[in-house]
Amino acid sequence: MKALASAALLVLVAGCGQGKAIFNVDVYSFMAGSGRDTIRYAIPPASSATASTFQRVQLPPGFGSSVVDSVRITVGSANLINSAGTGTLGFSFFFATDSVGTLSAPSALDVPATNVSGNATVPVAISGDLSPAIHSVFAKDTVWMRIVATGTNSGLTPVTGKGALTALVIRVVLQDKIL
Amino acid sequence: MRTAVVVVTLAVLVLAPRAAHAQISFDARRLGMGGVSLGRDGNASRYNPAYRAVKNRSGGGTGAPKVTIPVPLGLYSFFRQHPINQLTHDPTFNPDSAGFNPVALLNLILSPPIFLDLRKPAAPTNNVEFTIGKNQLIMNLGASRVLIPDQTFGLGTSGRLLDLGSGIGPFHISVMGFVHYDVGFTLDSALRSVLKDTVPVRSDSSYFIITDALAQTGVSPTVSYAGRVWHPTAMGDSGAPGGPNANADDGVYLGAAAHYYFGATYARGVGPAGFTVGNPIFGVAPTVLFDGIVHTSNGPNGHGVGADVGVAWISGPLEVGVGANDIGAQLTWSDTKIRRIQYDPNGDSISTTILANHVQSTTKLPISYIANAALRMGTGTTVGGDVFNAGRGTVIHLGAEQRYGPFAVRGGVARDERKKLQFGFGGGLRMGAFGLDLGVWTHSNTLADQRAMTMATSISVY
Repeated sequence: MKALASAALLVLVAGCGQGKAIFNVDVYSFMAGSGRDTIRYAIPPASSATASTFQRVQLPPGFGSSVVDSVRITVGSANLINSAGTGTLGFSFFFATDSVGTLSAPSALDVPATNVSGNATVPVAISGDLSPAIHSVFAKDTVWMRIVATGTNSGLTPVTGKGALTALVIRVVLQDKIL
Repeated sequence: MRTAVVVVTLAVLVLAPRAAHAQISFDARRLGMGGVSLGRDGNASRYNPAYRAVKNRSGGGTGAPKVTIPVPLGLYSFFRQHPINQLTHDPTFNPDSAGFNPVALLNLILSPPIFLDLRKPAAPTNNVEFTIGKNQLIMNLGASRVLIPDQTFGLGTSGRLLDLGSGIGPFHISVMGFVHYDVGFTLDSALRSVLKDTVPVRSDSSYFIITDALAQTGVSPTVSYAGRVWHPTAMGDSGAPGGPNANADDGVYLGAAAHYYFGATYARGVGPAGFTVGNPIFGVAPTVLFDGIVHTSNGPNGHGVGADVGVAWISGPLEVGVGANDIGAQLTWSDTKIRRIQYDPNGDSISTTILANHVQSTTKLPISYIANAALRMGTGTTVGGDVFNAGRGTVIHLGAEQRYGPFAVRGGVARDERKKLQFGFGGGLRMGAFGLDLGVWTHSNTLADQRAMTMATSISVY
């Protein structure tokens, strides 16, 4: 099946000649409702903490030799649903060809820390180009993503809550050097 | 692997344009008249057996030249752009090059650069965009959507090989080989919508191409007749028939041939090939949809009869002909095997089941026909047209030639196998036994449905 689907896709992509193959991958749709779209945090007073979630992203096969022009989060947003305490929360995105690799991969995109306080929900926009250092990962048919939430608490009470992803679309532009 | 993909791509795509060879001619005169031939050569003599008894016109006017030599200005232009000693590094032929465009290469094959392209065939180089979500797949092929065929596409031909024999008078006995193949693909409407109209893929749905392929070959002893059955009795000044007003070619000509077909081998496969997506689309692995019924002959056991008939009427400046080949040509294969070949999702393998063996099957050879007419109007004007079908769609040509002394002006229009209008115009200069002709014509011989325009030049020897 994969071979047939791949062949059909490759025929189509080959048909575009010198054009590029562009994939808009709605990563959030794979995470929604699975629990992986939410990162719970509990940061003790006067400290910092991290929490993360993993997601596998399936891309069309057959582009192993392709040159990845760019990878960009075009649509991304999250809600920081704070329950108590005052602090900051930021996100970092890591990508690798397997889940373990995301632990040692360089950060592909850092979302600046956002202030949270009390029982309130703060929306956060996520967008930007991913680091060229991880571009080659997106030529593979399986990509693992790890989202790390890093929180700081300079107050005297714990900062608790959860970060809930509400949208995440990654745009991958390939020069179709098909395998 | 990329090369293999490109080869497969080309092999698949080369089947698409049904009219690929229909318009290819090396005669600039004919191309300048939209493809019509005002002479008695080409399709008229091939598909109308009566024309085998009609002398070809010679001399001036619309007489057919003895030899037509194309002047390949297109090759000169092509090799200037693609030097032979650089071909291995030429992006046009190098699949590893970033500039390689398989559509452009295919266009080159389907529309060889013999003549000068005034408007090159479209070779889209646009981006293609895929939107992927857990339950979403949208393909936007952009300008490349013109490459997605609306109708059944494929290729096929019914040809005659090695017509060996001899004749006495109007009768002829011969043995000829025949070969017929026809491969057709039809995108189901859902798949076509996804590829051409950017309609999202739906979960729990099947997307497939229906394939119908037939190939058969054999030999055919043939008895044929071609002769003039009626000659007008034009009156001379003395009142005797056969006077100066009579045209030597005038008359009614009949042609007929009876064939007995010995089929050597045949195979036919019919069935869908595609996939069924799950729900959600990217949450469940899609399953292969492949289910074909294949008929094959167990040996050279095909038998059948068929006939060609034709008639041509020539009366002074007017000439009309109608001919048909392989009428009633049905072959009965006395010993065939029928198998079902399908994908087994449980075993992830292809299974073959013999549904029946040593059973009888029948096949047909497509009827080919031509109707042609030409009128020389006496003022240097000749008009003509033909309707032609070789089993893969009807082609209509209409054209005219106006001569002014040594000069000729030509024009024509055609409806090709894709039912698309094409146009031609041109001119020529005749000096004694030699003629130089130029013809410009539009065609859709390439993948895209859009017209290309080519200028042909040729030298004729009369």
